[in-house]
Amino acid sequence: MTTRALSADAGAAGSSPKKQSFNSDFSQLLIGIVLIAMTGLGPSLLGNSYWTHTFQLVNIYIAVAVFQNFLFIDAGQKSFGQGAILGLGAYGFAIAVGLNGLPLLVGLLAGIAAATVGGLLFALPALRVQGFHLGFVTMSAGIVFPQLIIHFDGLTRGINGINVRMPWLHEPVLLGLSAMTLIVSVFPILALVLHYYIRRSPLGRRMRIAAESPEAARSLGIRPGLMRSLAFVIASIGTGISGVLYGPAVGFISPQGFLIDLSFVFFFAVVVGGRGQLLGPIIGIWIIHVLPSVLLVQLVDYRLLVYGLLTLFVVIVFPDGVVGTVEAWRRKRAQVGGGERGFRLDRFTEVIRAMPPRKLASSDTPIIEVRNASKRFGQVVALDNVDMVVRPGEIHGLVGANGSGKTSLLNVLTGLSRLNSGTYEFNGKDVTTAPADAIANLGLGRTFQTPRIFSSLSVWENIRVGLDARNSPLEPEFASLAATLQAAFENDSPALLSHGQRRLVEVVRVVFKESSILLFDEPAAGLSPQERTEFSELIKLLSRTLGKAVILVEHDLDLVWGIADRITVLETGRVVASGEPSALAVDPAVQHLFVGGRRA
Amino acid sequence: MLSEIIIVVVRGIAIGSIFSIIAMSFNIVHNATGIFNFAQGNIFILGGFGAYILANQVGLETWIPMLIVVSLAIAALVALQGWITLLPLRSSVEQDSWLISTVSISVIIAAVMLLTQGPFAFTVLGPTPSFRLLGSKTPGAYGLAIGAMVVWFLVLRFFLRRTFTGLAISALSQDFDAARAAGLPVRRLQLIAFAISGLVVGSVGFLVAPVISVSPDSGMRYVLNGFVAAVVGGIGNNTGTLIGGPLVGVIAMLTAYKFGGAYQDLASLIVLVVILMLWPQGLFGRAAARRV
Repeated sequence: MTTRALSADAGAAGSSPKKQSFNSDFSQLLIGIVLIAMTGLGPSLLGNSYWTHTFQLVNIYIAVAVFQNFLFIDAGQKSFGQGAILGLGAYGFAIAVGLNGLPLLVGLLAGIAAATVGGLLFALPALRVQGFHLGFVTMSAGIVFPQLIIHFDGLTRGINGINVRMPWLHEPVLLGLSAMTLIVSVFPILALVLHYYIRRSPLGRRMRIAAESPEAARSLGIRPGLMRSLAFVIASIGTGISGVLYGPAVGFISPQGFLIDLSFVFFFAVVVGGRGQLLGPIIGIWIIHVLPSVLLVQLVDYRLLVYGLLTLFVVIVFPDGVVGTVEAWRRKRAQVGGGERGFRLDRFTEVIRAMPPRKLASSDTPIIEVRNASKRFGQVVALDNVDMVVRPGEIHGLVGANGSGKTSLLNVLTGLSRLNSGTYEFNGKDVTTAPADAIANLGLGRTFQTPRIFSSLSVWENIRVGLDARNSPLEPEFASLAATLQAAFENDSPALLSHGQRRLVEVVRVVFKESSILLFDEPAAGLSPQERTEFSELIKLLSRTLGKAVILVEHDLDLVWGIADRITVLETGRVVASGEPSALAVDPAVQHLFVGGRRA
Repeated sequence: MLSEIIIVVVRGIAIGSIFSIIAMSFNIVHNATGIFNFAQGNIFILGGFGAYILANQVGLETWIPMLIVVSLAIAALVALQGWITLLPLRSSVEQDSWLISTVSISVIIAAVMLLTQGPFAFTVLGPTPSFRLLGSKTPGAYGLAIGAMVVWFLVLRFFLRRTFTGLAISALSQDFDAARAAGLPVRRLQLIAFAISGLVVGSVGFLVAPVISVSPDSGMRYVLNGFVAAVVGGIGNNTGTLIGGPLVGVIAMLTAYKFGGAYQDLASLIVLVVILMLWPQGLFGRAAARRV
């Protein structure tokens, strides 16, 4: 216990030498590079040409699996058809170079282009559907691809395949290593390094948020569809290049090389190795491909059975995969954060308190103006002719019983659901039909009733996604605050945060996002009395010092009446009262809310 | 010309009935568990495989008992699969482990068939005589397929609406937690749903073995087309599959007739993508829509 308290204090003080890093991506990257270099260069250095040949293909498969891992976990897109994308790359190159004698560069571009087109075709249904729907679509494409290759034999030579022999690529150029060996050793390493850097970039964080919680992503101004398409394009280009290398490495391509089984190999490799672990696909290809089909060649007939059984075994017994299980064990031991000091608002509040109050531009344009708004779900009327106006810098309480339409109204204001009738203007601009990400980019931020905290990101990264959503640099005071938070929470695991702390993390995230209005959905639920006081203090500061308007949906009426400038009371989708807190407190229409000691 | 088209359409409806039955078996499991069983196509082929081993070229008196044996055996097998699939889930469907485990079980079934019987398709002769349709000889199994679709549809409808177990399974599709809070044995009901789906596809695989290609690699086709039928009809909606299945079957047969067999699966894929892009809820929506 003592050591825990010490390390937490060290974290709070801003220096954390004892903390292990939240994830082991960097170590995994290094181990991965070493492993790839070994399989890539080892056989040639040992002078065994059979192994050289075999392991060139292994390394190409590793590259494909790395991109599958990225697509599957970082972007959340379950594609069962990556074998077809690989085939498109291979055929694009082989048709250009092998059949038509075009220059290599043209072949490379043709391969990449063919694979990218295939990836975009996958991304198209991914804009509408996810999960098993997408799995079926991509799997169908994986089934259809070799059929089409056979059928269009005029273009592809059908079942006979295409010769792509390039002996000069297999001549030694350096230390007995051939150009091919060097290329297929370097390429998967580049793929792995790319995956590592995408993950650390704002783009990578956006993709992960879009994958885990599309609505949270949209409320941060991220377009999930764009993220998915981008992920498919990145994965397709990488897989396409692998396809281009496939031809010269094997010397020959045919539809038999790209059956649906191959797509399953890549998918299973990611699962068995450890979903989302950088090292996962490398270990996965070793277990799924190298072990059964290279080292146990005499068992080649049992290959499919081994894939299936291994994958089933892993998903039942080690759902995190081989690397994932080790990583989970490490993380459990190294996990830091949580406890009383796991996350608190006080430092955050202090910084804002020290800032000079911002002068509001005296404008009469309301931040939010909703007129005659109605929203129906089938027969159920969630909002019935609602009018609501929120002025800049005002704290607006939104109260009512459960089911009175508060969250429906928030969802309309956020753009997550669209009005059936009525108008919604944001800062004088009509946004009745605007999508959530557009409204978010106009300057709206929100938190959710169940906090959207992403377990694959550290506490600091969870906050940082709010910074990622900014278009302008931070105020200097906030920038130094951000640096303090980074130092304190960079390696903390969100798994250890209490429910109330998770809410506060989400609040801080959305405050860092550029905004002129913040929507809080029951933010005080689950907070301790002290946290509640701090929280209402923060809301006042957000409004008075930073000039942000706030809409507060809350059941703690004391809290609302204590800080709100105006309050709107909803009942069964209708506004029954609206006005200043003191006036509303004596309004007979609102009295029944207070039944039972001023708490609803 | 016209009679040719009619023959193609009738065969399409017959093949489509198979898709429709597979779609119904998807729906049972999906409604009870939220899981989509990717192995359903190979389980269907397993039914045909059972017919090949136990009831090839036999008379009706052996054929009928064997039909029952094979169907029950497959039902038990699928219940076992369900048990394995549900192990890591604890009734949460948010994880994607079921997606992986059902795909891997599908691969295992195909691999076992490949290892025991080789990659070739088997010819199975059933006891039902062929009949003449507009002057063309039509295998009796086509008639059986359409009949099986109607019979299974009615049986399932009765089961899901009139029996306690069936109603309890339907209740699962609305809300797991509420069902559990109401004291329903959720896990056992889910296993029953798996078993019933096995009974349905296993029996039909047996019945139509003479007209399908019983081979380790044909399961994929049926899982794909069955899924397209389910999507066209609206996932979870058995009534929708009565239209969805035959529609997909007719489109596949007409494509084969006009452009060649190589385009059949492509046609199904295009239908799937078009439906998902334009009507993700299916043409007939979901019968068991949540009432709030």
